Amino acid sequence: MGSAASASAPPPPPPVQPHGAAPPYGVGLAGILPPKPDGDEKKEEKVDYLNLPCPVAYEEIQREALMSLKPELFEGLRFDFTKMLSQKFALSHSVLMGSLEVPSQSADVIKVPTAQYEFGANFIDLPQLMLIGRLMTDGRLNARVKCDLTENLALKVNAQLTSEPHYSQGMFNFDYKGTDYRAQFQIGNNAFYGANYIQSVTPNLSMGTEIFWLGQQRKSGIGFNSRYNTDKMVGTLQVASTGIVALSYVQKVSEKVSLATDFMYNHMSRDVTSSVGYDYILRQCRLRGKIDSNGVVAAYLEERLNMGVNFLLSAEIDHAKKNYKFGFGMTVGE
Amino acid sequence: MASAAAGKGKSPADAAESSAASATRLAREWSTWAMKKAKVVAHYGFIPLVVLVGMRSEPRPSLAQLLSPV
Repeated sequence: MGSAASASAPPPPPPVQPHGAAPPYGVGLAGILPPKPDGDEKKEEKVDYLNLPCPVAYEEIQREALMSLKPELFEGLRFDFTKMLSQKFALSHSVLMGSLEVPSQSADVIKVPTAQYEFGANFIDLPQLMLIGRLMTDGRLNARVKCDLTENLALKVNAQLTSEPHYSQGMFNFDYKGTDYRAQFQIGNNAFYGANYIQSVTPNLSMGTEIFWLGQQRKSGIGFNSRYNTDKMVGTLQVASTGIVALSYVQKVSEKVSLATDFMYNHMSRDVTSSVGYDYILRQCRLRGKIDSNGVVAAYLEERLNMGVNFLLSAEIDHAKKNYKFGFGMTVGE
Repeated sequence: MASAAAGKGKSPADAAESSAASATRLAREWSTWAMKKAKVVAHYGFIPLVVLVGMRSEPRPSLAQLLSPV
């Protein structure tokens, strides 16, 4: 009796599928096969090499490292006021009273106290047209134009025009953006011609090359760079025939903190520089600090006092050259 | 006579060669002149151009908004 009862008992019915979860396979198989965990699905996703993302532009591969390690340090007082006349058009007034460093041949640092006022006009109508102009009291004009000629071809013009003859500079860039590559052709003053090309090799890695020719000095150069990035880190490498090797690495430790380091070797002047820095992006402030292999310590704080009002503090200390730069300022407007 | 003939034989060739050379020289001079004028135009006219383009874009800001400091 006992054995007959146990033999005839049917197997228990399969567990009911939870509501809302779509069965990964047909309804008939869902009850028998276990659901696939998410980790396996990601590993099995095959890389579609014909469908890679568009890479970051050649000159911007180091942008995370530059944003964290090279804030705009200044000395003196700085006040910026930006007035938005509409969504696209803004005028800006900027005052800087402080010392500017004059490059000198000797080891001494020569500072010249200056005061300058800069008037700026921005017209930003992405993606078609962007016009940015800054005019200073000494007559220098800094102009940037970015215009999308077609969907894939963009023209960028960057010019610094001065009243003194032979000091003006200008550069025209034609950018072509393909599905997984970018190509750029540059024409600059003093007969400068350059071209660069960058291609996505895997979803995380992109590699590029550039070549340039300087007409006035009859110099040419070639360079290679590559960028590897994931969600958490970005690593870049740049090698150029001018004898420069540059590496950088940025690790995003959390949403608010990222750490960056950078290494540059100049073969011609046998100069090696390395720096390590941090970047805290908090709700009310952004603090960036770095220390250099030359013993230079720098920090930059942007504190949001109110909607549209930012307070800036900048410091750079170089004990070896006895160069101490402290600055404070305020930015009003968006 | 030989020297005169030689001189005459050389000068048309010289003139032809120098006309090509002078054409490129003229082109370079004119392009330099054009670049200089373009630089002056850009230097004085870029900011007014940006302001003009901005004032004509939608929504149109008024002149009072442009000139007031608030």
